[in-house]
Amino acid sequence: MSDMPLIRLTDVSKIYHLESGDYIALDHVTLDIAENEFVAIMGPSGSGKSTMMNQLGILDVPSTGELLIAGQNVAKMSSLERTHMRRDIIGYIFQKFYLIPLLSAYENVEYPLILKYKKRDTTGRAAEYLKAVGIDKDMSAHRPNQLSGGQQQRVAIARALVNDPKILLCDEPTGNLDSKTGLQIMEILCDLHRKGKTVIIVTHDPNIAEYAQRTIRLADGKVVAS
Amino acid sequence: MRDIFFDLSVRSVKLNFLRSLLASIGIVIGVVAISSMGMLGTNMQLSVKDQLSADVNTIMLTSDVVKIGTGLGAAPTSSTIDESTLNDIKGSVGQNDVIPIHHTSVQFSVGDQNGRGTIYGLAPSDVPKFLTIAQGSNIRGSDVLVGATIASNFNLVVGSTIQIGEKCATVTRPVVRVAGILQARGIAADGVNVDNGMIVDDTWYTNEFGGLDQYDQVNVVMADVSQINQTEAAINAKVNRNSDVVRVSDASSRLSTIASTLGTITTFIMAIGGISLVVAAVSIFNVMMMSVKERVQEIGILLSIGTEKGEVRRMFLYEALILGLIGAVVGGIMSFIIGYSVVNAMIGTTQYFFTWDSLIYIPYGMIIGVVVCVASGMYPAWAASNMDPIDALRAD
Repeated sequence: MSDMPLIRLTDVSKIYHLESGDYIALDHVTLDIAENEFVAIMGPSGSGKSTMMNQLGILDVPSTGELLIAGQNVAKMSSLERTHMRRDIIGYIFQKFYLIPLLSAYENVEYPLILKYKKRDTTGRAAEYLKAVGIDKDMSAHRPNQLSGGQQQRVAIARALVNDPKILLCDEPTGNLDSKTGLQIMEILCDLHRKGKTVIIVTHDPNIAEYAQRTIRLADGKVVAS
Repeated sequence: MRDIFFDLSVRSVKLNFLRSLLASIGIVIGVVAISSMGMLGTNMQLSVKDQLSADVNTIMLTSDVVKIGTGLGAAPTSSTIDESTLNDIKGSVGQNDVIPIHHTSVQFSVGDQNGRGTIYGLAPSDVPKFLTIAQGSNIRGSDVLVGATIASNFNLVVGSTIQIGEKCATVTRPVVRVAGILQARGIAADGVNVDNGMIVDDTWYTNEFGGLDQYDQVNVVMADVSQINQTEAAINAKVNRNSDVVRVSDASSRLSTIASTLGTITTFIMAIGGISLVVAAVSIFNVMMMSVKERVQEIGILLSIGTEKGEVRRMFLYEALILGLIGAVVGGIMSFIIGYSVVNAMIGTTQYFFTWDSLIYIPYGMIIGVVVCVASGMYPAWAASNMDPIDALRAD
């Protein structure tokens, strides 16, 4: 069991049954991602990057093959177990930030703690994580629409980290940011990797991919370089 | 600290304040309709019960023999109770008061004014047994006691005179003097509806209208109302032993029939009020579906970062609950005000309004409003919780 990587895909395919016929988004993908790796997933549009992200983020299950995350076969888990795994093991950072618009920055970060512990945070952990990504107390009271893109992404990173996940899944995390803010966000992600997090980043930007230790290239749903 | 899902629901309602308000108004109307109609019906029931229950100690006896007319096409008419039957009745009711009554409908004149009402012939000694003289004294000779409505409509006072019978140039009509004015009785369960009638001495009555020893009705006033069933059985055993001679009825059985009928009417009008709640339910359903459609991406975010389906469902049900509670509270207050006004206008008194039986319709209506609202939110909540997070995140 000690040899088991954090993520293992064995012959994973994802097939969408469309009216026009079956569409193979992932085609017999086999790969391992070890704990504390910094991986970039690259590929042209339609190569299967988003499908791969959905699989790794347990938002979807493979049509065939086996996906093991932290030793657990995702396809054999119940919907509730997958929900709990998303909550506890994975932190998501999206290109569009995807903060909850009706909650303040603080509440957005507090939210995963509430999901996990079923009560409001009284430990100050949410504030601590916000501070760590450079969001001060005044700013944490603002709603997402009152924050800049860079500030929203920092809040999103704090939200992703607050439950101390093993995996950080980042989907084009700098895609909606200017280059200076993008660099700041990448520095934060590198720092998190140094602190032991497994960071998986989907990008089409080779400059961003350079931050990663390893690059997985996809084309037509297949891994062409790993 | 409050549940974050409740906070999210409150904020969503605030964000779409006007839409939420309009949806809640539907619930307000529904709650007001149900509660007000319920209160009106109950007040009506209580009012009628109160009026009728004054005479529940009375057994009413009328002839059960039908006279067949001898003429061609003559209609069958109800017979009267004769002296022999009256004696049988007296013999079977023990110490209870037996009051033989004559009555007929007559035309009368007070000055130039003509009117029509029922005239009752009673032994003067029987009058105080079940009637209250509000002004004046009891009848004697050609005196008359008039009902409260007639007295009011014709401005009669003690000493006024009334001509009995139809105006006719060739016949002199008998004149009676008002000896007293009776207290208003309302709907009398003992069949003696004197408000629009008058009471004369039975001797005077039989002299003018005939029917000596032939009574239209006999009332038995019970000293102990709990003995009413035994007394009825005794009358039936003695008087109706061979065939049905008299029809025996009492106010309590008629009271329960009337109460049951009014209860059915109340339920029916409440059901009509309930239709507005159905319309409100559709409106709430529509608002909730709109809320779900507008928040698809937010639902996608919630689901993708580990929110359980049940928690998403709870969030939307809270929203429906908030709309329901707002509607129910406002509806409850409005029901109180409108219900009071309607009851006052329709029944003429609010003496029964503040009773438990009446006011209970306000919480009833409120609970129904909230339940309808939450039920309307169930499908939208279910739909939200079962969204595919990937599709939901893609939504713009």
